[in-house]
Amino acid sequence: MKKILVLSALISVLCAAQAYAVDSTGCGLGSLAWQGERGKVAQLFAVTTNGTFGSQTFGISSGTSGCDPNGTITGGTRRMAVTFLENNLDQFALDASRGEGETIETLAGILKVDAKVLGAKTKDNFDYIFDSEDVQVLNVALKIFEIANA
Amino acid sequence: MRFCFLQFFLFILLNAQVVLAEVKASNSVDEFSALPSWLSLVHYKKNLLGNYKSSIDTDSFFLAKNGKTSPKAELKATINLFNSDDTKKKCLFPARYKLLTKYFSLRPYPKCKELKKFYSDIQPAGVSILFTDAYMNNPSSMFGHSLFRIDTKRKGTQMLAHGVNYGASVDETKTNPVIFAILGLTGGYYGTFTVKPYYDVINTYNNIENRDIWEYNLNFTDEELDLFVAHVWELGHNMARYFFFSKNCSYILLEILDAIRPSLKLSEEFPFHAIPLDTIKAVVSRDNLIKNIHYRPSRQAKIRYKYKQMNKRQKKNYLELIKDPNSPLDDLTSKESVGVIETAYQFLQYELVKHEIDLKTFRKKSFVLLKRRNSYKENDLMKELKAGNNPAKSHESRRLSIGWGLNNNKSFESISFHPAYHTLTDDNYGLLMGAEIVFLDTELRFYNENKFVFQNLDLVRIKSLSPVDEMFNPLSFKISSSVERVVNPKSKDEGYISKTEFGLGKTLKIEDNFYLYAMLNNSLSLGGFMPHNSSYSVGVEGGVLLNLSPVALKLSSERLISTSDFSAKAKYAGELGFHINKNFSLFMEANIKDNYHRDEGQYLSGIRVRF
Repeated sequence: MKKILVLSALISVLCAAQAYAVDSTGCGLGSLAWQGERGKVAQLFAVTTNGTFGSQTFGISSGTSGCDPNGTITGGTRRMAVTFLENNLDQFALDASRGEGETIETLAGILKVDAKVLGAKTKDNFDYIFDSEDVQVLNVALKIFEIANA
Repeated sequence: MRFCFLQFFLFILLNAQVVLAEVKASNSVDEFSALPSWLSLVHYKKNLLGNYKSSIDTDSFFLAKNGKTSPKAELKATINLFNSDDTKKKCLFPARYKLLTKYFSLRPYPKCKELKKFYSDIQPAGVSILFTDAYMNNPSSMFGHSLFRIDTKRKGTQMLAHGVNYGASVDETKTNPVIFAILGLTGGYYGTFTVKPYYDVINTYNNIENRDIWEYNLNFTDEELDLFVAHVWELGHNMARYFFFSKNCSYILLEILDAIRPSLKLSEEFPFHAIPLDTIKAVVSRDNLIKNIHYRPSRQAKIRYKYKQMNKRQKKNYLELIKDPNSPLDDLTSKESVGVIETAYQFLQYELVKHEIDLKTFRKKSFVLLKRRNSYKENDLMKELKAGNNPAKSHESRRLSIGWGLNNNKSFESISFHPAYHTLTDDNYGLLMGAEIVFLDTELRFYNENKFVFQNLDLVRIKSLSPVDEMFNPLSFKISSSVERVVNPKSKDEGYISKTEFGLGKTLKIEDNFYLYAMLNNSLSLGGFMPHNSSYSVGVEGGVLLNLSPVALKLSSERLISTSDFSAKAKYAGELGFHINKNFSLFMEANIKDNYHRDEGQYLSGIRVRF
């Protein structure tokens, strides 16, 4: 019987360890969430230069990280803006519909335009920027470049 | 001839200077290699025998063959490197150069293309240490997670800053939970650093895992900031063995802070285990280190906060709107509608991430909502969630209790201890209401007839009372595993059993600090002390949790059916904590078991100290 007691205690320890491991998310499993897709930007460039649009659509943004394999924000204004929108499109859509918010401020910073003006413009042109529920991120980006400079 | 002489003279002079510099260096190499600034930059720690060993485990981090164990050899090799022509290698150690160039005469640092790009991408403006808080319905996440953010001076917001995360590098496809646990505990994985845009961090924690992020901005000088970024670059190419309890995500961050400011001496406070929240408390406790604290609520917290502010009509319309985005908002004014629509959209985002709706449904519904939102000129009048209870101000994690009690009319003194972490009757400032997690809770009793007994060892005890509401429908649960001393109801003898319990149920929130819950429990007890060596029970439990600071009260009653009449038929329990302050409280406990009229009562009261 002693054996069973010991075995039961051992199993419990393992369970405990696992509970800790699972929860210290980030310490353990959380890091998995960090693994972005490699080569996404290269891929993005490929599609852009081919004159077609990226496949990222509305609502994917949370969870998939389309960032640089090295993990840093990089590139010129437009590339940065596209990457930012690609990763934050569903939040940007909300901010655009109301004309203010953190993603608008960020985008205004990238594009070096005034956040209030950009907010007002995206609100006024919301139907134009988001013309269908299957809108694609590069389309959104191109329209924003257009209205931001208008 | 004079020309020659002059040349010769210059030659001598020049050489003399070089020799002099080397002499100066060799004298100071001994001294310098023992300085905290060098030791901490190469992550040396003294072991019990007094020998140095670096926490970093990859060979590429060391320039000398015995560099991992010899600070002096490593220093010499580093100085040699910086006076050599090996540009590629020099570019891997910018922080060492920044430190050494202040003390030794070194050749100018080369132009490093990749390093330069790293700086220009990051555009550092400061450093923050981030703590990601507990997620709902997961008590063990109260331990949290920590990472760095290199704040940016880019125009816009800190969304364009970068997170620096240290975590075990695990191939998810090739592992199962048991292997994961064993390797995680024994250093079977390597920890690596990842640098990611901060918006990725926000998405991961705030939006996917629904955890609040606390940002503690550090008070670094420009020089410290520069050294920090350089050191991250140095470490980014290397790995250390990862131990979930000791050398984990949070611990390594402390070693990095020590490397930047050796006077902090943070890592030495955590020789055995580093609970992320404890490490944050240590950071916050240092003088002149924290500049600002900023709170970034999770998406779920934002939704709850908005919902709470809605009036009755808004709530009714909101609950219809999250089901049908076309539902008319007839009885709402424009001003009232705006916040309702925006919150409904956020709820859809929440559902998508939780896989409660698919992408197609999300797009369809959200498109309708956003168009409706866009048709209003007004702004949302509801307040944004901007403040929370700083988890760094929560109670300490170790608890010692001393009490006096009665066990079936036999009086005893009791002493108990657990190294971590929180029970439902502790002060819960900065922690999740309804969440309990306890590790290795041990109780010893001293009976007045001079008998000393080991009462129980709870290996782990987790309880999550997560309230159900109109939007969220979480399961509440409990898991525990323990070795306990129990009374045989027939013979009144005492003996030990090993017990594992698991329960599932639902919790109802009456007020923010008042929960009711019901649970269905299963428990298995094993041990030779019992008849048939085992007993299995199914029980229905109902309970109350009330937190009226400074008092926390927990009451429960349970009806059980068991395979053996050794187990009780009914159990009633009550526990009350009265908090003098967050770390010091008085408590009272009563546990009554009804076992076919052989009642058993245990009563205990005393003091609890957290430290």
